[in-house]
Amino acid sequence: MKKRRSLLLLTGIFFTAVIVVFFTNGVQGVEEVTSDSPLMRADVITIDALKSLGDLEQPPVVFLHDLHTDAVEKQNKDCSACHLSEENRQSPKFKRLKDTSRQQVMDIYHLDCMQCHREVLKAGEKAGPVEKCGECHQGQPKAVSDKELIVFDKSLHFRHTEAAKDKCETCHHQYDEVAKKLFHAKGKEGSCLYCHKQQTEENRISKRLASHLSCIQCHRETLATNKKMPQAKDQKAGPIKCSGCHAEQQLQLIKRIKDVPRMKRNQPDVVLIQAVMPDVKRPKTAPTILMSPVPFDHKSHEKYNDTCRVCHHADLNTCSSCHSVAGKKEGNYVRSEQAMHQLDSDRSCLGCHGSRQSKSSCAGCHASIPIESKQQTSYCVQCHNKQPQRSTANLKPEQLARMMLKSRTAMTDTYRDKDIPETITIKDLSNKYDPVYFPHRRIVRRLVTEIKNDKLAQYFHSQKGTICQACHHNSPATKKPPRCYSCHGKPFNEAELLRPGMKGAYHQQCFGCHQQMGIKKPDSLNCVECHKEQKK
Amino acid sequence: MSVSRRKFLGWLTAAGLSGSAFGKVAHAATTKHFEGHPDSLGVLYDNTKCIGCRTCEAACNNVNDLPPPDRPFDDLSVLDNKRRTDPKKYMVINKYAGSVNVKTPLFARTGCNHCLEPACASSCFVRAYTKTESGAVTYDSSVCVGCRYCMLACPFNIPTFEYDAAFTPRIRKCTMCYDTRLVKGELPGCVEACPSESFTFGKRTDLLRIARERIRRYPGRYLDHIYGENEMGGTSWLYLSGVPFRKIGMREDLGITPAPQFTSSALAAVPMVVGTWPLLLMGIYAMSKRKDKIAKEEKEQALAEVTAQVKAEADQKVSEAWKKASQEKEKAIEAAVKQALEAAADVETEENS
Repeated sequence: MKKRRSLLLLTGIFFTAVIVVFFTNGVQGVEEVTSDSPLMRADVITIDALKSLGDLEQPPVVFLHDLHTDAVEKQNKDCSACHLSEENRQSPKFKRLKDTSRQQVMDIYHLDCMQCHREVLKAGEKAGPVEKCGECHQGQPKAVSDKELIVFDKSLHFRHTEAAKDKCETCHHQYDEVAKKLFHAKGKEGSCLYCHKQQTEENRISKRLASHLSCIQCHRETLATNKKMPQAKDQKAGPIKCSGCHAEQQLQLIKRIKDVPRMKRNQPDVVLIQAVMPDVKRPKTAPTILMSPVPFDHKSHEKYNDTCRVCHHADLNTCSSCHSVAGKKEGNYVRSEQAMHQLDSDRSCLGCHGSRQSKSSCAGCHASIPIESKQQTSYCVQCHNKQPQRSTANLKPEQLARMMLKSRTAMTDTYRDKDIPETITIKDLSNKYDPVYFPHRRIVRRLVTEIKNDKLAQYFHSQKGTICQACHHNSPATKKPPRCYSCHGKPFNEAELLRPGMKGAYHQQCFGCHQQMGIKKPDSLNCVECHKEQKK
Repeated sequence: MSVSRRKFLGWLTAAGLSGSAFGKVAHAATTKHFEGHPDSLGVLYDNTKCIGCRTCEAACNNVNDLPPPDRPFDDLSVLDNKRRTDPKKYMVINKYAGSVNVKTPLFARTGCNHCLEPACASSCFVRAYTKTESGAVTYDSSVCVGCRYCMLACPFNIPTFEYDAAFTPRIRKCTMCYDTRLVKGELPGCVEACPSESFTFGKRTDLLRIARERIRRYPGRYLDHIYGENEMGGTSWLYLSGVPFRKIGMREDLGITPAPQFTSSALAAVPMVVGTWPLLLMGIYAMSKRKDKIAKEEKEQALAEVTAQVKAEADQKVSEAWKKASQEKEKAIEAAVKQALEAAADVETEENS
């Protein structure tokens, strides 16, 4: 009996101990001590140069470039303190021109980095790590990159052309395969990104290397020249530090020219876009025209976009040079129809126009218009204008395009005030609220004001009643459009599955438009702003 | 009685073999995919239209005669905390942060989804839950025993228990206004009250069609998934959202197997086990017992025979011995008599001489 009792006691103690340990586990804080969230910096470079020479044994090094640029500047040194030059070209690598062997590259980094740090420490300043591996090879990086990519838009380009005094050859070059040299082809300048891609290819450096080597070198040279000329002391050059181009705050500070003068690249003012099919058997004869041509105002479109690359995504040629009617290899077999009409692309005509509709001044109406890829003929004709009556056989395409563009009309206004009811009293549903006194005319006038400066809207809203179709939808554009109750009645009608009932229709239309346009007052959640509560 | 190991293992094998023989039948109940009663009704909740005004909650409270809430329904600060259903709130609206595409906050409705094959009904052993033909899952408190298995079973954690009512607690959940509205041909309270028609009511098949058409027309606005179309075998309450459903607090890990299917094979085996195993095992036991009995009887009989035989032999021996003994006795008497006579004769002769 004695043996049994002691066993029971032991078991009891054991269980209690387990429960206590289980519940007090969290008290000790077994988790790692969480460090502060990493710093967000634009100058973070991850040094993993040894990756190309084998597997990495340590985590890549987190290197803050601007920090070092500042430190080097303090010592009155410049980039050559770390970057060697070859033939006047600076190597972006650290203290070497080429990656030779694993041991050599490692030694360069270890010895040179730490030596400099030791020297700085000796001078009594703060410096980087000198011996502990983990301080550079951070497993959990203490700084994380929040680099923004800078867009070299037309404003920046203009500032550069001014600084370079319109000498395009300063930056633009092309590569001669035969002579294996760079040369400047006048009149054929294009975007850097047409050739310099994401990765370095055989003979072609990546866009990252290209932009850093060319841009920063030029900026440095300009700064050096400015320093020598006392009168040009105030003249600034572009950034040479990472944050200058890549930190969000600095990007905001870059001066933007509002009305950039037109780039001088011999671009056309108007273009006649025609889908043609050449006669292979008789190449000398005029090709068959497949569809009414589209007169394209190239000059105006230049104003609407920040870069040429938005449309000219591969080179500064005509679209049809790569995108033929049936598609060809140069255009990745994208047919001209797709190139112009594809709705989800940001460089097709329809795609770009579609994305304009998501602006807040347009989205109030356009967000609720379903995306239909098949359009009615009346929609096609707005771009593919009929050729004018006069004999046009002898006209050059450009002249014809100009004529057709001139004959286009813009709808800037809608019906007269007396045709637009001032207020509409909506009392069909009241049982809890008073009727709504809907300020109809004011809203119509507001919509008209929103499209006052929008040429796109003014052209495509081809009729006076088009703007009414925002709310008076699914019906033709007329002076007397149907009332809401003509179509919206009791909800959940099996014959009209997608049609909301009257209450839902009113609220969905009103809430939807207000939300898309960013209208804060009236607030959807504050019912009495639109209809007062009924006094019982 | 003590059972030998061999016997026990023998019984076990017999039972197991009989089980596997019937095993295939157990799945018969789950090979069909139940898509709902024909013309069953449902509700489609469209998250992109909901503005979080809580009018639906107020209507639910009103229609079901629930007690007034602690904070009024137009107090939208209630949405700052995540709530779940409770006996006084059959349906709650919760607020979630907006996403990259949608700057305004998002809302989601939580309440009974009226599954096509409800887990609650499947777990209830007193049949308190009924999946009605209209699609609503209703609850009968008169038969409920308060075991709360349904609360465990529901994958959406919906049935709530009246813990405060100690003697007559009931399970409370959304009934799709079955008794109060649907049987009268009216719309459920929340559906009727919503100002922006975020709830669409109708036949489940029609709702699926509406949902697909909305997704087709506004691909940028909706996620291409109708929640409830297949989740847990399908629910009557369907959801459309502009963001992934986990961002609005809805479980994405439920799978498409209806809840009853998880247990139907085990449950279907119960009648078989209860029916055949006792008979089988009792039969084996009876047979083996009888076998023992017969063996015993035979043994006794054999024993009896041998005993009788031995006894007969013994008797015979005894009687022979007795006979022999008596014969010898007679002989001895005769001899003695003869001797006596001779002796007497001798004496006589002697006297005569």
